[in-house]
Amino acid sequence: MSAPRTRDAAAFRVADQLTGKDPWEVFGERIRRFEIHLSGGAVEMTRGPVALEGYEIRVFRPREGSLGIGCQASNDFTPDGVRLALEDAERSARFASFPTSRFSLPAGRGATGGIVEVLDRGLWEYPMDSLESYVAGLRAAFEGRNGFTLSFGSLRATLVETSICNSSGLRTGYGHTQVELEVGVKAVGGPEGPAPGEYWLNDSDRRLQPAEISRRVDEWCRYAEDVRRGVPPPTGEMPVILPPAVLAGILPTVCSGRLTGSARLRGIAAQPGAKVASEIVTVHDDGRVPWAPMSSPVDDEGVPQRRRLLVDHGTISEILYDTLHAGAFDTHSTGNAFRGMAFGFPTWYRFLQPPLVAPTTIVVSPGDGGTEAELIETAREGLWIQEIGWSSPDPVSGAFGGEIRLGYRIRGGKLAEPIRGGTVGGFVFAPAGSPSLLSRLQAIGSTSAFAEPVSSPPVLIRALPVGGEH
Amino acid sequence: MGELSDAEDDLYHAIARLAQRTPFVEVLAEARTGLSVRYNGSLTTFQSPPRIRGAVFRAWTGAGWTEVSVSGVDAPSVRFAETAIERTLSHRPARDSPPGLSSTARVDEVTPTPRPIRDMGEEEIRTFARDVFGWVSGAPDIHETEVQISWLQDDRLYLNSAAARCSQAVCRVRGAVIPVAMENGRAESGRFIRGGVGGREVLSQLNPEGAQNAAMTARSLLRAKAPPYGRLNVLLSPSVTGYFAHESFGHGAEADQFVRDRSYLRPLLGQVVGPEILTIVDNGGYPGAWSQIFCDDEGHLAQRTVLVDRGRFAGALHDRATAAALGSVPTGNTRRSDVFSRSFVRMTNTYVEPGESSFDELVKEARDGVLLESGVGGIEDPQGGQVQVKARMGHLIEDGKVTDLVSSMALSGKVLEFLRSIRGISGKEDFQLDTGSCGKGRTDFLPNSAGGPYLLASAVVGQA
Repeated sequence: MSAPRTRDAAAFRVADQLTGKDPWEVFGERIRRFEIHLSGGAVEMTRGPVALEGYEIRVFRPREGSLGIGCQASNDFTPDGVRLALEDAERSARFASFPTSRFSLPAGRGATGGIVEVLDRGLWEYPMDSLESYVAGLRAAFEGRNGFTLSFGSLRATLVETSICNSSGLRTGYGHTQVELEVGVKAVGGPEGPAPGEYWLNDSDRRLQPAEISRRVDEWCRYAEDVRRGVPPPTGEMPVILPPAVLAGILPTVCSGRLTGSARLRGIAAQPGAKVASEIVTVHDDGRVPWAPMSSPVDDEGVPQRRRLLVDHGTISEILYDTLHAGAFDTHSTGNAFRGMAFGFPTWYRFLQPPLVAPTTIVVSPGDGGTEAELIETAREGLWIQEIGWSSPDPVSGAFGGEIRLGYRIRGGKLAEPIRGGTVGGFVFAPAGSPSLLSRLQAIGSTSAFAEPVSSPPVLIRALPVGGEH
Repeated sequence: MGELSDAEDDLYHAIARLAQRTPFVEVLAEARTGLSVRYNGSLTTFQSPPRIRGAVFRAWTGAGWTEVSVSGVDAPSVRFAETAIERTLSHRPARDSPPGLSSTARVDEVTPTPRPIRDMGEEEIRTFARDVFGWVSGAPDIHETEVQISWLQDDRLYLNSAAARCSQAVCRVRGAVIPVAMENGRAESGRFIRGGVGGREVLSQLNPEGAQNAAMTARSLLRAKAPPYGRLNVLLSPSVTGYFAHESFGHGAEADQFVRDRSYLRPLLGQVVGPEILTIVDNGGYPGAWSQIFCDDEGHLAQRTVLVDRGRFAGALHDRATAAALGSVPTGNTRRSDVFSRSFVRMTNTYVEPGESSFDELVKEARDGVLLESGVGGIEDPQGGQVQVKARMGHLIEDGKVTDLVSSMALSGKVLEFLRSIRGISGKEDFQLDTGSCGKGRTDFLPNSAGGPYLLASAVVGQA
């Protein structure tokens, strides 16, 4: 089942009841969610089905030079419920104002974006069985590992039938799956003494990958042990290597804040043609990366997803639009209208929030920095930052940074002892001549890895300020 | 509570039927409504919070909990949930009761709203937003100002098979002014945010002086120096103090982390962990605070729980299960983001109680260091005992005086070392509670508030 059942898809059922004026749009979701929560290695709770079906109606009311946009989400599909939601949307539209009267909703039927791998078929058909099997595999992977335990965990699967239709004739939809895994892996015992170390993982994917469990548990245990042994870093400016897992906490928020039509409307967008990074930096936004959580055949307005060039050898190339902001600047939507962001994190039900202009998967092109070992060799002395507590970039200023939860000293071109504590940060973009992460990029590795929602090699920054103990 | 009251009979009968198959079953039903507007001079957007209704049933299987959520409180939705729970219980018939104390509370509370905000229609709320915008529209160098005004009415009805019935209607109101200054490609923003539980009277806390100060801050930050880095004397502003309390002793004292053997604080219960001037409290019943609730989502009354009492680690936050496991009682801290999300032990309004120093005395005592202002967030480390708190801005403290403005920074350190380094806390005249939100890990966000007065300690800071 890769697309919603056409007749009873949430958006279609609502659209068939709409009696208002054009233009309008309905976004609908039928969601089933299943969860298993662990306390230690034991199952603490199973949840599901969490059955949630809802929709949002958006109406667009052109006026002279502007557009009144009204929206209302609801999970009431009765004729009265739909009527009330429409009335709310119409009332909001009367008082709202968006500075364009030009815009065009996408038209067409079917999943116009073509096939993108976003649905785990086994999980779709047998959700709780699949989760139980994965959890059994996870627990088995810890058996016989002396000194390592699961301190807690949660595995949540969300199965969604998304449907979108509008007054231009669009009726489209697709099925997709999301998997969220959170685990705490604790290292205890051994010669380091009694204080445990924990590696705390939050991960998101489109599918369950049980074959990967053993390899991943090896990695988590290694990190937990290194957390335990970590000592604060030195203080000063020094070369720093950031792997994709760290870039994932930084780049998307800053791209949202400075490389979108909404940023342009606010007058704070980086201008196409502006030099913002060193020559070695090329960045795409790609909504069709297989199995990536932000991939889909179409965006949340029904515009087909594609690959967009954001930064071309250090220079801003293109910025991202939905249909409304595209209308305001007399251009086309890039397929970047997305719902369901709250506090910088994606939410599992998206119909509650109207679309924002947002990036999908940020893809940093591989460079000629070589393997991880070669990148470390180039840095000579500095830090490899494996995890920042919360880098919480400011979408306006571009400032980022936080506490080092796990990293490694680089000494003599080799990875050395683990570090933990202290701070690292700076600005992602900065005015010409000022230091920033992008302008100080010295080398980019040659092999990419995916760390939702970024695909990138590790990158070496010539110098970042590090706050440590000494 | 109209729609939930209408559904109460169906919910009650479902509980009664399920109670024949399990020693304990409960339901939480929820209905939300509200309105929010954003205005920036050229753009006005309205977003009505969704007309969401739903319910979550939780039943004890004898070995654990099983839950089913439905997106409706009409009879078919309730029947769907009941049937799904019945199916699970037929596989796992329960005999023993679940651990912990089942609520038998009878609560019927509505937020006092002297001036109900739902009377404020779209036109009036837009006019108010435009007036607030006008306070800073002529400010020099301000590139853009966004005004956000919102309210959310959250009605919850809790019933269980032990005869508890808790009905609460909480209205949260928030106003924000966010001016953005820009120069040569560098952009900075200021913030003036006020919010709480109540009606439109909450919005009267917004004022021109606060909005203009936010504009001046945004402008000044364009030329702010980079912050110092390394171990320094740090003076935390009330909002940063609040984030520290929340991330350190708030998350660390959530007793589900104790049960998971995941809190560095567990072995320290009852011990002295900080100076006698330090008291940290979580108080769900704090009148008018952003995260005020009347009862939690297991039907236990909200209360004031002292986490650190004059330097001694005095207590933790509990739900029924953790209280049973650790020989304590529920503290009214079981919360769900909504009826589609599971419950966890969560904070409400968490703060450091005022001390006796003045701000000037703390600056003098610091002599050299940095004042961290305008907290923007943080993250806990329950197992490792580290804490990160981030501030949007700050000022240098040099020779006992507050001097130059510095840009955003993060504070990092081991909580227990930080507590031992506390040298002073300012008085009640400086006390503030912020409006915020908090996740459990990176999910399950819900309204939270944190605050306190100024607090002087030492920690590692750096640009962030």
